[in-house]
Amino acid sequence: MAAEVKSLGTVEPMPLEEDLASEHLMFDPRPREQMNQMVMDAMTHTSKRYWIVTTLFGLGAAILLFGTWGYMIFTGIGITGKNRPVFWFTLISTFVFWIGISHAGTFVSAILRVFKAEYRRPFTRAAELMTFFGLAAGAMYPLIHLGRVWVFYWMIPYPNQRWLWPNFHSPLVWDFLAITTYLISSTIYLFLPLMPDLAMVRDRTTGWRHAIAKTLSFGWRGTEAEWYRLRVAIRIFAFAIIPVMFSVHTIVSWDFAVAQTPGWHSTIFGPYFIIGAILSGVSAVVTILAILRSTMRHMNYFIRPEHFDAIGKLILVFSLAWAYFFFNEYILHWYGGEAAVKNLLTFHATGPDAWIWYTMLLCNFVIPVLTLWNRKIRRTPWAVAIITILINVGMYAERITIIPLTLATGRSPFDWGEISVHYADIAIPVGSLCFFIFLYLLASRVIPLVPVWEVQEGQEAHILRPVGKTKVPSVSELE
Amino acid sequence: MAEDNIHLALFKEDKVGQVAEALGRLRELGITDKDISVISGVPFSDKILGRPMSWTRIPQIGIAGAVVGFIIAMFLNWGTPALYSLRVGGQALFPIPTAIVVAFELTMLGLLLATFAGVLLEMMSPSYGPKGYHPKVSDGNIAILFTCPAELDHRMHTAMTELGAELVNRSEVVKL
Repeated sequence: MAAEVKSLGTVEPMPLEEDLASEHLMFDPRPREQMNQMVMDAMTHTSKRYWIVTTLFGLGAAILLFGTWGYMIFTGIGITGKNRPVFWFTLISTFVFWIGISHAGTFVSAILRVFKAEYRRPFTRAAELMTFFGLAAGAMYPLIHLGRVWVFYWMIPYPNQRWLWPNFHSPLVWDFLAITTYLISSTIYLFLPLMPDLAMVRDRTTGWRHAIAKTLSFGWRGTEAEWYRLRVAIRIFAFAIIPVMFSVHTIVSWDFAVAQTPGWHSTIFGPYFIIGAILSGVSAVVTILAILRSTMRHMNYFIRPEHFDAIGKLILVFSLAWAYFFFNEYILHWYGGEAAVKNLLTFHATGPDAWIWYTMLLCNFVIPVLTLWNRKIRRTPWAVAIITILINVGMYAERITIIPLTLATGRSPFDWGEISVHYADIAIPVGSLCFFIFLYLLASRVIPLVPVWEVQEGQEAHILRPVGKTKVPSVSELE
Repeated sequence: MAEDNIHLALFKEDKVGQVAEALGRLRELGITDKDISVISGVPFSDKILGRPMSWTRIPQIGIAGAVVGFIIAMFLNWGTPALYSLRVGGQALFPIPTAIVVAFELTMLGLLLATFAGVLLEMMSPSYGPKGYHPKVSDGNIAILFTCPAELDHRMHTAMTELGAELVNRSEVVKL
């Protein structure tokens, strides 16, 4: 047989295993001990630059977010620019923005897990962590916007002296329930696959890191029963958290859509918000991955151009889907001919703040579509990072368009008004961004950002299978 | 079987076949499955190792949590308006569409919280089988932890080392 093959003389070249290894993490296995060491090294290494950056973001959060909020509590919510008719301004826009960002973790981790997308493995935790801190940042906004934050517990249903209950027919109470459910379930979903990695940290550390890891790993040993239970629980979570994720942003959209305000009362608002949230969240994951890759040790082994390529394709699809939903909503309002809505659309496109509307279209649709079709761009981390930052600028512009710019042009010209931007309207959103980055920076030194056991599991499942005269990459089902 | 007869055989991470064979050898020596635990840094299914199926009640606990969440939602939807009626002109006191939203969120919350509680409960519940751990497991090694009578020590030792296992000294087996 060998002689026959030799006599043919033109055997197809075998795909070089080295090429596959340099391209795909799953075909570039390293001993687990080494991967553990790489992750521990990334986690425990704190340079002077790290502390300077962390301190700056911490100060930013303390002054801009908590300082301004504290001042607002003392002086009243009038320090923001909200006024008739724009009662919901940057605080609510930023709330929607953060809730949108928080969709990424669930999308990347749960949906890609359900569909067995293998490239998800090294960055699921980075995305889940983003969900957790994004939700934490977002959940503060209803409290900030409440004004009288000291009576926030009135939203919670509890037996009280006057037997007064929250109104469960109100979308604002649904918001409270949905965000609470999503925050709790996302936290658990982050924690469950973390247990084996915390056990790894426990085995390799001393001092406070060891104490935290030992407590949170709940005595994890890795027995068959523990793995089996973990798998069952992760499977339940992966399926159950997806409808919860959809419900959260749908309910956020209903905060607007159930009102009779022109431009808000739309049946497509639910899916339109969902697709925007996924576009913004997945984009934020890419931004974070690019930063992690360039700033943390050994991350270029775990996060590779193949990952930017794969998520870049997803972003392209979501950008097109966002444009589809946007146009669907736009054309029906435009064709409907209702005077108030036509005025609103004209105001968005030609009014004094039209640049926000064009920024939205440019960043959410034009830029991703013109760039992400190109494989070379998708595989260049810094380029994708810039594109994804611009997408989130566009998504923020979308929320500003939907909320304050729509409220400014009501049904009657008597009710029209202008947006008035105050210090607090800028400081609090910027402060919450600092808070998010600050928490992420701290967490990156406490928990392993790469799920090592999931990476190793994936590498064990990937093999090169001989097919005819060549070998093809294959994945085995080890579960 | 006394815990002082505990043994821990470590296999390299890529020697799953040898682990399965070692488990067979231990059974041949008369050591039953309940006296054996396999510990690993990555999950392997029971079928791969030829071990009895692990059990769990997590799905049932999760469903019970979902039922509790649904009952709480029913109370919030229909109980609270009944306790203190706030009638708004033309609006139903007990509307079904809005009740669906609250019921969905709380049912899911109950399911997910109970699932998590189930994991912790089962992890912390007393279990049969030998207890012990070795930090090398989290480096990807696979450990067979078992108890066996002292008279089988020599045969067991031969069987394990033949398959490439590193037998860990009893004193190094950690109790977590």
